[in-house]
Amino acid sequence: MREETDMSLKKMPPWLLLILPALVILAAVVLIPLMFSLYSSFTSYRLTRPDTLFNWIGTFNYEKAVKSTVFWAAFGRTILFLTIALNLEMILGLGLALLVSRVTRGQRLLRTIMMFPMMFSPILVGFQFKFIFNDNVGLVNNALQSLGLNNSAIPWLVDEKLALFSIVFAEVWMSTSVFAILILAGLFSIPQDPQEAAKVDGCSPWQSFRHITLPFIMPFIFIAMAIRSLDVARAYDIVQIMTNGGPARRTEILWTLIGRTGYVDAKMGYANAMGYVSIIMAIFFTVYFFKKLNAARNELGMAN
Amino acid sequence: MKKSVIRSMLSATTCLAITAAAPVFAGEFDGVTIDAKLIGGQQYEALYALIADWEADTGATVNIISKKNHFELDREFKSDIAAGTTNWCVGSNHSSFAPQYPTLYTDLTDYMDAGELAGFIPAMIASSTIGGRLVMLPRAQFDVSVLYYQVSLYEDAANQAAYKAEFGVDLAPPDTLEEFKQQAIFFADPPNFYGTQFAGKDEGAAGRFYEMVVANGGTMFNEDFSPAFNSDAGRESLQWFVDLYEAGAVPPGTTSYLWDELGAGFASGTIGINLDWPGWSGYFNDPEASKAAGDVGIIVQPMGSAGVRTGWSGFHGFSVTEDCANKDAAASLVAFLTSEVSQISESAGGSLPTRTAVWDVVVAAAEGDEYRTMALNAFKEGATHAFAVPQTEYWIEATNLIFPELQAAILGDKSVDDALQDASDAVDEMMQENGVY
Repeated sequence: MREETDMSLKKMPPWLLLILPALVILAAVVLIPLMFSLYSSFTSYRLTRPDTLFNWIGTFNYEKAVKSTVFWAAFGRTILFLTIALNLEMILGLGLALLVSRVTRGQRLLRTIMMFPMMFSPILVGFQFKFIFNDNVGLVNNALQSLGLNNSAIPWLVDEKLALFSIVFAEVWMSTSVFAILILAGLFSIPQDPQEAAKVDGCSPWQSFRHITLPFIMPFIFIAMAIRSLDVARAYDIVQIMTNGGPARRTEILWTLIGRTGYVDAKMGYANAMGYVSIIMAIFFTVYFFKKLNAARNELGMAN
Repeated sequence: MKKSVIRSMLSATTCLAITAAAPVFAGEFDGVTIDAKLIGGQQYEALYALIADWEADTGATVNIISKKNHFELDREFKSDIAAGTTNWCVGSNHSSFAPQYPTLYTDLTDYMDAGELAGFIPAMIASSTIGGRLVMLPRAQFDVSVLYYQVSLYEDAANQAAYKAEFGVDLAPPDTLEEFKQQAIFFADPPNFYGTQFAGKDEGAAGRFYEMVVANGGTMFNEDFSPAFNSDAGRESLQWFVDLYEAGAVPPGTTSYLWDELGAGFASGTIGINLDWPGWSGYFNDPEASKAAGDVGIIVQPMGSAGVRTGWSGFHGFSVTEDCANKDAAASLVAFLTSEVSQISESAGGSLPTRTAVWDVVVAAAEGDEYRTMALNAFKEGATHAFAVPQTEYWIEATNLIFPELQAAILGDKSVDDALQDASDAVDEMMQENGVY
């Protein structure tokens, strides 16, 4: 028996033998859960009734999700949230990186300080901004009223636009430094020759930024964008704590909707179906940013 | 003084409690280990200190494998059911959550004698019995909302005169929901002071709506659990919230408030009248924590247009899992944790008992403490009007469909009629999808 096993292992090509452990781990932690969740999305699986895992209902959950206005509203809101938050983080991160790159003394300290918001758990950030934007006892309203700038209680977490602003603000506060750090790394890798040549040729600071610095750091920006567009789901905790998708579904995004459906309503089959439909969005953002990344690398002659 | 009274009450009732509880023989469960998943939090911990007594009496050991709040426990229980890891024995339970776990817990009737069960307030045992099975025994953590108010608002001569001039009646704490609304609007002076506030999201919002519907003569569900709240009583109830919001009588953020924000709001001294739970009574009158301290009045909750008082209530309890290897020992532990002795000890911390005899002990212990006596009288009367959530395992799921529609009406996104129609349609679809009817 043992000989047979030894023989079959020996017959395996060495490359397969070498990557086998990785394949086994990948199958265990990624592939099997993925297949399981895909399967369960075709069942009426409820967490509280394990027997429903075998109740095959075909594409019912998918049809329900596709026909649901609540789902598509959350889908649209998530894209809006991603677009605003990522672009703001990129612009602010770029500005921050450019400023920090100019600093000659204490830059290391500044870089460390810049990373502080990243170290907070998103749940803590959620609680912090929930208190700051509370309409009755919150910091912002009290400050505005004490300074005489406003005499009413601004409903930061209730008004549709203000609530979106508040959540984006919290998310931007927490994650801008991710962009700043990655772009700063890009700035450090720019060769000095083209910059010096531009100075000799009499380029203005804007011209040298627009035509030399920016093209060099674009690949870093798109890598940061691609990473953040996948990682931004961490903001689930912030939204869950600050508004939990409310009030009246005004801040409902895919993560809060799917989380509530799966874990509170226990409808895991339907939650998984919504998850698979929303994967379209993740694929779209990833493909888009990688195309942009390749285009930026081509421009620098870095392709292949 | 208070402690010594409680101690003497404890010793006086110990013999009674031990003889009334399911008989325990010394060393009966020698070597048995009971795994337990219990609710954690300061107000719940004192009871767990008594577990050592039960361990000493029976020879068993209790191993607390999880201690979390109920929302986290709920998720853990659901994951356990899904994974089939339900061989732990004793779990904390709550009347609002219990109907969701139809297969998890065993029927305790087989492990308790009738005399033991007779000591509990009958309505609590009825609420703990789901589908004919007694799935939990209540501990001394009973919740029903009563009316808290700032006394000085009602004693203020200018307020009294202005109210009399405007409405033609004397200013007194409200006895009806209509008076409640009228006074909340009268007291409001936004953004510095609000007449009242309400839980505006999750089960909190749907629960408040539920008790208003009942108080106004309606019902949430028909007998087959099809939605019945899209009715005159439902419209009257939702309109009550809408009117308060439109008049600026509540903080504009109230639709995102839950219990902690509401407690902090009343304690900040910026809320006039407040329907809230017993657990807050000590906090509201604590000068260290509350600006309203020394100015808090507590009376029974108001009644709706049908002459019925609001009374959405809930209570904590303990259950034994169906897969427990030693249900006799687990049931003995649950009986101990909910016994008279345990309830007297637990309610000494300020929570409300679920046993008739313990109420008398608690009231006697509060003698001489004017505030505590006022609170207990209000809770005692409030408890007589209490009713639990509808006994369907889909209650929490239904509330998740209802509360966003209530919010939409309150915030003016939808009319009251449209919001109730949409909520009713969504609940109807959900119930049918789950095969309820």
